[in-house]
Amino acid sequence: MVIIMPENEDKTPKMDPEATQTGAKPEEMHLDDARRVKVLSPGMLVFKRFIRNKLAVIGFGILLVMFIFSFLGPLFSPYTQTEVFKGVGTMSKDYAGATYNTELRYTAVDGLQFGSAERAQFLLALGKNLESFSYGDNTYYFTNEDEGVYRIMQLETVAEVMLGIFRPLAGDTVAEDLKAAYQTAVDNKQNSFELNGITYRMTKNKKATQISIEHDVALAMLPVYDAYNQSDAQVISSYDFKLASTRAIAKEKDSFSVGNQTYSIKYNEGQATIYTSAGKEFAQVSDIIVNPLDQSLFLPVSFKSAVREAIYNDEPKFSYVDETNETEHYSIVRVNTTYNIKKETSTELIRVFEKPSGKHLLGLDNNGMDVMTRLMYGGRVSLLVGFVVIFFELFIGIIVGGISGYFGGWVDTALMRFVDLVNSIPFYPMVLIFGSVMDTLEVKPMARIFLLMVILGILGWTGVARIVRGQILSLREQDFMIATEATGLRTSRRIMKHLVPNVMPLLIVYASSGLGGVIIAEATLGFLGLGVKYPLASWGSIINVASDAYVMTNFWFMWIPAGMLILLTVLGFNFVGDGLRDAYDPKMKR
Amino acid sequence: MEQQFLESGALPDPVLEVNNLKQYFPIKAGLLQHVVGYVKAVDGVSFKIKRGKTMGLVGESGCGKTTIGKTILRLNEKTSGDVFFYGFDIFAISRKQMRTIRPKMQIIFQDPYSSLSPRLPVSEIIGEAVKEHKIVPDNEYDNHIDRIMKACGLEPYHKDRYPHEFSGGQRQRICIARALALNPSFVVCDEPVSALDVSIQAQIINLLKDLQDEFGLTYLFISHDLSVVEHISDDVGVMYLGNLVEHGVKKSIFQNPLHPYTQALLSAAPIPDPTLKMNRIILEGSIPSPANPPSGCKFHTRCRQCMEICKTVAPETKEIEPNHMVSCHLYD
Repeated sequence: MVIIMPENEDKTPKMDPEATQTGAKPEEMHLDDARRVKVLSPGMLVFKRFIRNKLAVIGFGILLVMFIFSFLGPLFSPYTQTEVFKGVGTMSKDYAGATYNTELRYTAVDGLQFGSAERAQFLLALGKNLESFSYGDNTYYFTNEDEGVYRIMQLETVAEVMLGIFRPLAGDTVAEDLKAAYQTAVDNKQNSFELNGITYRMTKNKKATQISIEHDVALAMLPVYDAYNQSDAQVISSYDFKLASTRAIAKEKDSFSVGNQTYSIKYNEGQATIYTSAGKEFAQVSDIIVNPLDQSLFLPVSFKSAVREAIYNDEPKFSYVDETNETEHYSIVRVNTTYNIKKETSTELIRVFEKPSGKHLLGLDNNGMDVMTRLMYGGRVSLLVGFVVIFFELFIGIIVGGISGYFGGWVDTALMRFVDLVNSIPFYPMVLIFGSVMDTLEVKPMARIFLLMVILGILGWTGVARIVRGQILSLREQDFMIATEATGLRTSRRIMKHLVPNVMPLLIVYASSGLGGVIIAEATLGFLGLGVKYPLASWGSIINVASDAYVMTNFWFMWIPAGMLILLTVLGFNFVGDGLRDAYDPKMKR
Repeated sequence: MEQQFLESGALPDPVLEVNNLKQYFPIKAGLLQHVVGYVKAVDGVSFKIKRGKTMGLVGESGCGKTTIGKTILRLNEKTSGDVFFYGFDIFAISRKQMRTIRPKMQIIFQDPYSSLSPRLPVSEIIGEAVKEHKIVPDNEYDNHIDRIMKACGLEPYHKDRYPHEFSGGQRQRICIARALALNPSFVVCDEPVSALDVSIQAQIINLLKDLQDEFGLTYLFISHDLSVVEHISDDVGVMYLGNLVEHGVKKSIFQNPLHPYTQALLSAAPIPDPTLKMNRIILEGSIPSPANPPSGCKFHTRCRQCMEICKTVAPETKEIEPNHMVSCHLYD
């Protein structure tokens, strides 16, 4: 603090009337005693005023924290800036599809055909709830053996009855016993009868009734057969086997025989497994089709069985032990009538957008890198860019402004027009162009930072030049500068001791406020993707990830911390700048 | 050359001789800053100052007093005319040589607030040029500064203080100390007291007089305050619009003013006697622009005794009485 006696401007003792009054006590200090006055240099005064400004001190504290965070923080961070964190994760991949079979499958008797035309007629008749249909010269008859199993037979007319008159169509005569059997069937209102082990069927054809013998043609069925052993597929798809097995299943019999082979059946949740007499798994019957998504893949019956079981039990997940004895996990997702079976495979995954945890205080970013660590390294870049750019601006600005102000005249005019020229370069278009040029030239990330500094500096020094010039012009006309000439001081001393110290305060204020601006500019460029490039970080480029609305709304830790750091740093610089401005203002007494 | 100045005993009289000095400042205008005219701040001034004497220079604001003060120290580059300092033409030597002469000719400025660099302590302000020119040997430097400060009424503990800690009067003492620390023989005092209140003015004027006796100084004392000039001067010059209209010994000028302007100026000076009836000469209008001065005698536009000849012919300077020069057609 400076104590100057206000009533006592002139410090010569003999002219001081109060000195004698206060000098009554001998030990008491003389009012204008030199010891009473603590002398402070202007620099100290500025410092004192600065630390009295609470806001400025807060700003300074913020900056101090930022510097420690950015420049010392990385030393304590266990991770590096480009370290990618990976983790084991399960990835489900579509593997197979399953659906309830809704399409009839046909099995024709060996040596006979049941073509698509016949099938169409059959389906038509089935839809009309008829029992017979005809195609071409042939007439077919079908019976419902089981749910979704139809036995289709071809009728061969042997006789036609019209008004009680039998007309033979095959052979010459109609046997008497046939007539009698027919009459019995008509009386009993049956539409078929048996005679001598042959089944005769009666069908209406206009007004005549036809008597036909029937023979099997095909089976139309919904259940699907899967062979455990591919070599058995031939047997399984044969008409005889299918007919026998379906009949057995329809009646829920435990065994059936085809030819000289006997098979046993076990039922299990909508599917039936057929075993050979030796007890070996032979075939599986079910109404669910399971197909691999990749056609080249072969699905073993046991897998299909597992899928079916899961579907019947409504289980979303199941496990299956494959041939190599490895347990694999599958999930089932139902989409309308089909079931998608997804194989869950575990792979090494980059831990993208991981939420903050104890190990990663601010989580992981879109590249699986630690956000906290990147903020520290990014702070280095942002603060360094700020400082280097400001020093660059000051360097050019002081030289140009100093020359302009000190020499004046046409040098001043020329330089100031040049400043106007540089000032009229539009900032953002220019920086955008530079950014894309650097992209095209594939400039290395580190070189990019330095080029960025140079560009920002080149576009920003004009303000400093104007300030320095104006200040020097006004100082040059001050009496104390004329006095330096009158006392014959060297030019270098006049500049270094008189001009520079009087320009410096203004520049310090400009620099501390300007730093905030540069950091914002750098962040803006980083956000636009023109500044510091991946894998190096800067605060702006960290926020850049949040330009995706999904990231912004879901991962707050990607952009809020970086945004806060920028905000606080700029605020800090502005507070310090304002504080310095006030501290340098001579009108501020304290 | 420097050596010759240091041996002041062998130096010729007068200390300063100014011959027909002119100082014009160009007026620039337009996009290309071409010269459209000149401000004729000093327009042909001649006078001499003898060693140990004080010449007072009076005149109203804007008449070119300060410009003369700066030009004779070569703080401005003259337009024409000569300035001889101990017989040396100061405009004939290079700026580098000029720097070696500068300690011998110093200036005290009008405004004690702007004439001290706010970022240097007092000891530095007073002493930096002393060191620069090696006025005293290094081992005597501190003593020299202390002696000068004491002579100027400053205490040694003021050394470490900064200008903002001083009052106006003290600042002016620092300015005086800065000038005197270089052991000058000639000092231009450019209205050194006009920014100070009257009590401090007296202290400073008396200080300057004491220092003149102590160091054998020669002063050019510029002021618009006639009473101050009367108090301190041996010779007096009266300026009007860049011309020295009348100059001579103080007694002669104050008792027998010849030029109508001097008469008007003296009649305007207040006399501390309420019973005395003042016979004031009121000048009409204000001082014309030095960029476009009237033809003939520059004072004719405001002169009560204006004649036809005054409007066309500029008057010559004539010695009417011994050591009393005047430029006026009244005395043709």
